[in-house]
Amino acid sequence: MNFAMALDYQSCIDCKACEVACKEENGVQLGADKQRIWVSQSEKSIFGEPFVALHPSQCNHCQDAPCVDVCPTGSSYFALGGIVMTNKDTCILCKGCMEACPYDARFVDDTHVAVDKCTFCYDTRIVNGEMTTACQATCPTKVRLFGDLDDEEGELIQMLNKRKFYVLKEDEGTVPKLFYMLPEHDKNYAMNSVDEGTNIYTWDEFKPIIEMAKAKRKPQWQAMQE
Amino acid sequence: MQVEISRRKFLQGSVALSITGGSAVSFTNLLATDKKPLHKNVKIATVCEMCVNKCTAWAKVEDGIVKKLDPNPLFPKSKNMLCARGDAGIHALYDPDRLKYPLIRIGKKGEGKFKRATWEEAYHAILNGTKLFKGMKQILEEEKDNRSTLGYCAGEGMGEHTFKQFMGDLIGSANFVNHSSICLKTTTAGYALTLGAYGKADLDNAKYVIMAGANRAEAILTPDTMDMFKRTRGRGLKLIVLDPRYTNTAQHADKWLGIKVGTDLAFVLALTYVVIKEVLFNKEFVAKNMNHFQEYKTHILSNNYTPEWAEKITGIKAHEIYTIARDFMAHAPSAIYYQGRRTAWSLQDFQLRRAQAIFTALGGGIDMKGGIVFGKKLPLDEHTVEIPLYANIQRRIDKKEATFVGPNGTWIGFRNAIIEKRTPYPLRAMFSYKQNPMQAIPNIAKTRKMFEMLDLAVTIDTMPSDTVMMSDVVLPECTYLEREDPVKSFAGVEPAIILRNKVIEPMYDTRAVYDILKGLSQVISKPLFKITAKYDADVQEEIEDASYEDVYEENGFDLTKAYVHTQEHINKERVVNEYGEEAYKTLKEKGVFYPHMDTYFKQLGMNEYQYYPDDKKYYTSPGGEKLDAQDTCIDEKAIAALKKNLGTASGKVECYLETMKKNGVDPMPTWRDELYNEAPKGKFKFVTGRHAQQTQNSTANNIMLLDVMRENYVWINKEQADEKGIKYGDIVEVKSSVGIIHIKAYPTIKIIKDVVFYVHGFGQESTGLTFGYRNGASDNMIIEDTIESVFGTAAMHETLVEVRKV
Repeated sequence: MNFAMALDYQSCIDCKACEVACKEENGVQLGADKQRIWVSQSEKSIFGEPFVALHPSQCNHCQDAPCVDVCPTGSSYFALGGIVMTNKDTCILCKGCMEACPYDARFVDDTHVAVDKCTFCYDTRIVNGEMTTACQATCPTKVRLFGDLDDEEGELIQMLNKRKFYVLKEDEGTVPKLFYMLPEHDKNYAMNSVDEGTNIYTWDEFKPIIEMAKAKRKPQWQAMQE
Repeated sequence: MQVEISRRKFLQGSVALSITGGSAVSFTNLLATDKKPLHKNVKIATVCEMCVNKCTAWAKVEDGIVKKLDPNPLFPKSKNMLCARGDAGIHALYDPDRLKYPLIRIGKKGEGKFKRATWEEAYHAILNGTKLFKGMKQILEEEKDNRSTLGYCAGEGMGEHTFKQFMGDLIGSANFVNHSSICLKTTTAGYALTLGAYGKADLDNAKYVIMAGANRAEAILTPDTMDMFKRTRGRGLKLIVLDPRYTNTAQHADKWLGIKVGTDLAFVLALTYVVIKEVLFNKEFVAKNMNHFQEYKTHILSNNYTPEWAEKITGIKAHEIYTIARDFMAHAPSAIYYQGRRTAWSLQDFQLRRAQAIFTALGGGIDMKGGIVFGKKLPLDEHTVEIPLYANIQRRIDKKEATFVGPNGTWIGFRNAIIEKRTPYPLRAMFSYKQNPMQAIPNIAKTRKMFEMLDLAVTIDTMPSDTVMMSDVVLPECTYLEREDPVKSFAGVEPAIILRNKVIEPMYDTRAVYDILKGLSQVISKPLFKITAKYDADVQEEIEDASYEDVYEENGFDLTKAYVHTQEHINKERVVNEYGEEAYKTLKEKGVFYPHMDTYFKQLGMNEYQYYPDDKKYYTSPGGEKLDAQDTCIDEKAIAALKKNLGTASGKVECYLETMKKNGVDPMPTWRDELYNEAPKGKFKFVTGRHAQQTQNSTANNIMLLDVMRENYVWINKEQADEKGIKYGDIVEVKSSVGIIHIKAYPTIKIIKDVVFYVHGFGQESTGLTFGYRNGASDNMIIEDTIESVFGTAAMHETLVEVRKV
């Protein structure tokens, strides 16, 4: 199993259902700066007309995650299926992982005095065998598709085989596993919502990158913990 | 490691409550494990009530505590989602500021000083009054049993009918006001009188949609929101958005046109002009289904409603109008001019909605896939109660406030008639249920005055709203997660019946509205009949023939008879009588039922479900019946009455309305220059709106929702803000002829010039709301109380304001 998520971000309406569902599901600390997931907005003006692109985001559960490497106590680790987790009991709040993360996906949870981040609902759903995350389930326009990259028959791989996508900050070399699906039918929107210099991939092209990073990191994956 | 947030700290946070004797029951108590839970580790099917949509949900309960709400994918209307508000429903249940027990006012009106009371004490205070306010008995005695002196209002909800039945049918008052006249009255009326019903836009199949002013990305409406935004951006639905603001809906549009406020009618008339002039309409449909088309054609052409004419009014280029008109008809009949929801905008709103309906009909997209559809409704057995007849009831007080005032009234007309003493008889009491008129009606100063003038104000709510603060007796309702509500059938392409189960027992000393009214009826029934017997000539006559007791017992005057069964029992009976025991069992367990659900319903993918196979969907209404039971905001009975009184029996699309002509209203949509006001130099037009993180003003204290949107900001065009030296986050003063507010500024290119906007739902004045109190600004503080003259609907976008940095 190798968990990942595709985001058909063109369907996002910024309703923030995912943010609230996440907080309710996982008991995330209240506060606007305490977000496991979020929707980022980029706003610009094209010939005087406004243009806004929305990118729902969260921890990329990088296949080659730098946050795991910098953690001095082993608090940041790979769980089942390569999900990047934090152990709140062993976190000493050195915040090295927060520095290391290129996606700003981590924050301090003051109620636990530890770093917190997205877990793909590992504790509340995956350990119970559920294959949807709270953010996916609640989404009115179904932006997210959570799945297993090792399941060739699965919906996620089928979608990745069908459509092109990109990842965020590829240059960081972290091999992120949030796949942003390129809008297929609106070239204008696609062009304006993707940063210049971002590589567009097919699954055939990206799969070897994933496989290589997975081979490197798989030995560190921990088995399911109750 | 877990850091405990101490009880002391928690209570400190809630001392802002000015309700005396409050906050004794704390959040920590309710988490105590010694309380016997109703359910242990189960999932219970319920129906969300955070807004009007009625999405089905699963409530996850552990040891009697609701831990999580998840979407229940079985209901075709809500598909498979919960929005931010739905997800945050737990915080409506566990809000420490909730109303916890009945309250009786002991301070000055509006001061917010109450004493805790038992239900019996509260009921008796309503009947007999206290030394500070009068009771029903004294009022009805003084008014000689004119029950209409007791006004009542309700917000939309599954319990609205229960409350209406009590106040209207059983108590006998004619003076009901609801959201309709501050919401969608002009549209429901416009479409009902033109097409036969408001209907529903089939956004799952439409190929071309003009959405003007409506904002389905932020004002979520099921299933429209889910249907359309999976299909925008070249995926089958071409979207044109007209709005002075570049909304989240506009982000998805193929074309956004920043139309000037209040000019939509000119735009639609120009579209119509192009379509008629170039003969682009669906000739077969028009010949078969439209009445008085020739008159309309002549009217449009002879008035010269050209795109060039409209350009000067709307600010939209003529060539854009030509293109849109042609594109629309090229995609017709799968083309819709979207009806709109909260359409209380301008003085010309009714004619605008008529023009939109006729324009859509010109393409032929009525009662068919991809157009405006009416669907089918699954019947439910009727539950009937005996209704008393009172001889001394007088008709509504607001009848003269507009040309046609229906059974839901005109809120502004109603209120203004009271405070300006224009009523034919005094309106002396107000019973409010699940509505917060203090924040909901334009010009708050006047609503306050109305409440100050009343002899008795009774409010049923879950939260200490601004209206609660103006009340004499407050009856705490439990939240939707603590009660079973009346079973509901939703019409549509994929009709279904849903049931809101009780998830946990009511917390504190709260009750469901049904039980509140049951208790009240037991206290007031006999004493009120005594007054009727004294003043009602018909009843006196009957008593002469029979006995006093017999008349009371047998003619519906014994109000308690309406409440002999429980809500659960009534629901069961209504479903079992129609569909059998098995159907009821399914409904109870799953929250949703429709015939063949077991075979029709299928999961197609991780995110997709089938509700009905395509060939079993009701895109075309069986029997041609034009149904309006697609959601609870639309009052089927009111619309039926409207059509009966003002419509024609032809069943066709009506271009010309004789009834309007007779009453001095334009029989065909006509642009009236005198009803349009452009903002003079230095002033802005103010527009209000909704967003996806708050519902009207009912969620202002929800801490989870405030987490995703802390307060409202005023949108102002960036260039104009620069001229005024206003920067992001600056405090500005927004001033109209009726009020002044202070708010933070959001200069943006996403709003056209000469318009400012801020979202509704903030700026509550109730000190009982720890987080909502004076957070942001209230729109109704500054919106002028202007109404359009046909139905008396609020014209909320006619207010001019000045903006300055403070």
